[in-house]
Amino acid sequence: MTRGIVCLAALTLLVLLALLGPAPFGLKDGPQAPPYSKPDWLDRSVASTVILNVSGVSKASAPLTWNYAAPLRVALTGRLESGSVRWTTPQGGEFLLARGPETGSAVSLDLDARDIPFKRSVGMKPFDNMPALLFPSKGGYRLSLLGSGDVALKIEGGRWGWLGTDQRGRDVATLFLRGIRISLIVGISSTLIAMLLGLSLGLLSGYAGGVTDALIMRTVDVLLSIPTLPILMVIAGIWGKGLWNLVLILSIFSWMGTARTVRAMTLSLRDAPWVDGLRALGAKRNYILFRHLVPEALPLLLANVALGVPGAILAEAGLSFLGLSDPRLPSWGRMLHEAHIFGAFTNGAWWTILPPGLGISLICLIFMDIGRKLEERADPRLTQASMKQAGLEQARLDQMEVSQ
Amino acid sequence: MSALIKRVAGSLVVLIVVLVLNFFLFRIMPGDPLVGIMDPRFSPEAKEQLAAQWGLDKPLAEQFVVYLREMLSFRFGLSMMTSVPVWDELKNRVPNTVALLLPALLLSAALGLWLGVKAALRRGSRVERLVLLSGAVSFSFPSFFVQLLLLLCFAYVWPIFPLRGTTSIPPPEGPAAFFDYLWHLALPLFSLVILSFGGWALYIRNMMVKALGEDYVLMARARGLSRRRVVWNHAFRSILPPVVTIFLLSLPGVVSGAVITETVFSLNGAGRFLLEATNSHDYPSAGAAFFLLALLTVSCNLLADLIYVLVDPRVRREGAR
Repeated sequence: MTRGIVCLAALTLLVLLALLGPAPFGLKDGPQAPPYSKPDWLDRSVASTVILNVSGVSKASAPLTWNYAAPLRVALTGRLESGSVRWTTPQGGEFLLARGPETGSAVSLDLDARDIPFKRSVGMKPFDNMPALLFPSKGGYRLSLLGSGDVALKIEGGRWGWLGTDQRGRDVATLFLRGIRISLIVGISSTLIAMLLGLSLGLLSGYAGGVTDALIMRTVDVLLSIPTLPILMVIAGIWGKGLWNLVLILSIFSWMGTARTVRAMTLSLRDAPWVDGLRALGAKRNYILFRHLVPEALPLLLANVALGVPGAILAEAGLSFLGLSDPRLPSWGRMLHEAHIFGAFTNGAWWTILPPGLGISLICLIFMDIGRKLEERADPRLTQASMKQAGLEQARLDQMEVSQ
Repeated sequence: MSALIKRVAGSLVVLIVVLVLNFFLFRIMPGDPLVGIMDPRFSPEAKEQLAAQWGLDKPLAEQFVVYLREMLSFRFGLSMMTSVPVWDELKNRVPNTVALLLPALLLSAALGLWLGVKAALRRGSRVERLVLLSGAVSFSFPSFFVQLLLLLCFAYVWPIFPLRGTTSIPPPEGPAAFFDYLWHLALPLFSLVILSFGGWALYIRNMMVKALGEDYVLMARARGLSRRRVVWNHAFRSILPPVVTIFLLSLPGVVSGAVITETVFSLNGAGRFLLEATNSHDYPSAGAAFFLLALLTVSCNLLADLIYVLVDPRVRREGAR
């Protein structure tokens, strides 16, 4: 019971996070810090990435206490209306970083310490290491604005955020939060579509019988004995890699279990005495199907959906891991793909591997548990061994198939 | 015998579907099949010439006949990327895939079987908890994640296994080559066993628990048979047919897993060949690799079917009748 509550709470939290996205947590998309920055809490001896903001009308300054070796990169951005931006070292040295316009409109600044013009304007030689010169020692520094404007000095160290950065310097926490949405959308929608397909084909197969039945069931057999991932790969490679293409492809190849369950159920109920009774009362076929058989099957089907979601999520992750997903969609599988091909290993960047992997596993475990709970709820009347063997074990097998 | 013939016929149907699907997937889908090798700046005449060179200007029916001939003779035509016969590219890779999958399958099934029976016999023991845990892992942890973690631990942090590849560079000579090969195969094999034995164990445990509660087991016990005979000859014997069925149904998944495993460990196998061919729009190669993987699945299926006939006396009797 408590486990069910924990699962539901976790699912609610995930859905909430998926809806909110990274913005409310102050997390931004795009490159934020140097590639493969460590998580902030991991290694305190490395400088963190700091952004110093100064803005004002006549005069403003921001102090900084620096206890590390010189940073990797320094960049100055913002807009300057008048006056100048200065940098004071603990020894009392002063660098004139930028000068505003004498008259007229404000200038916008986008200066990087690796740019030669920037070095020259500060009075350094083109091959000088500017960050090292700006940060000669530990101690108190000061960024001051003499004039009016709004500038930010970004001092990039080797640490960033909750979960560090990936090979492009993007925040892993942002990508992780974005990945929840993709996983949930793909998992739930493709399983729902597959369930509807399986339900209709299973009903058709079980109720119509004859050639239709044979045709559908042979299709099921064939689809179940073709290796799924290669065919998904080929189709994704040819069809295009969009999100909804992926959903469609996944659902086309995962309705078979549901169809078998529904067919078995329809067959066992078709000749049940109470269905005979309904027929004797003059009930039409559609009435029996949709007013009696479908509601009867629904709880078990819902359990099947929940049990099928992990399979779809794992399949999506697998395809993305193989690089067969839209590079613009930040899914968990994609994160692992990039970690794998862009050398997260040679950088020892485990923080790009653990969060997406654990995220996928967690979401799958949650849905498995919810599925089991629903299954137990749905079972009391439909617990016959035949049903279980025909349907639910099949559903689990399908998952096994995709996950391996 | 009729049961056998039916199974063989079923496999043939699957193969025919795969062949047809394989042909049409690459020709009906949107996109020019020559997109991978064609420069957009080519003149229309050059495009036509290229299409003629690859036989794409002929009517579909004729293309299909040529395709069937190439597939069934195992030549598979020329690779669009390298202009080398696809079979020459594939023949070195298929053995690697088989050498990875077959031991992995057998080891994980054997381990799962042993642990599953053990867990069913000792409910609530540590073995059972291990089985439940590893079952959950194998159903919900993505294989590539576990494999990446293994790589991170045993090839980067504690480098006792190679990070990538099927052989060292340069490859060693003589008997050392064999051990080098095994050394490269060890971690992928281990990862596959770790990932799949839990599923097996969970299944076998569930079925064994059910079987051990049946009346005939009680009867066998009452007859004073040894514990071993009761467990193996009565309870386990009765669940053998469904075990074989599950074995059969898990095969496509195992073959699918080859693609991912070979990609993670950069093994030179048929699965990764399929991925590379798909990514570079090399349709003859992708088609050939897909066909081979499907063939592998279907033949394993057939083999499992034959074993099923052997283990289930009911099917045998039906066949004899």
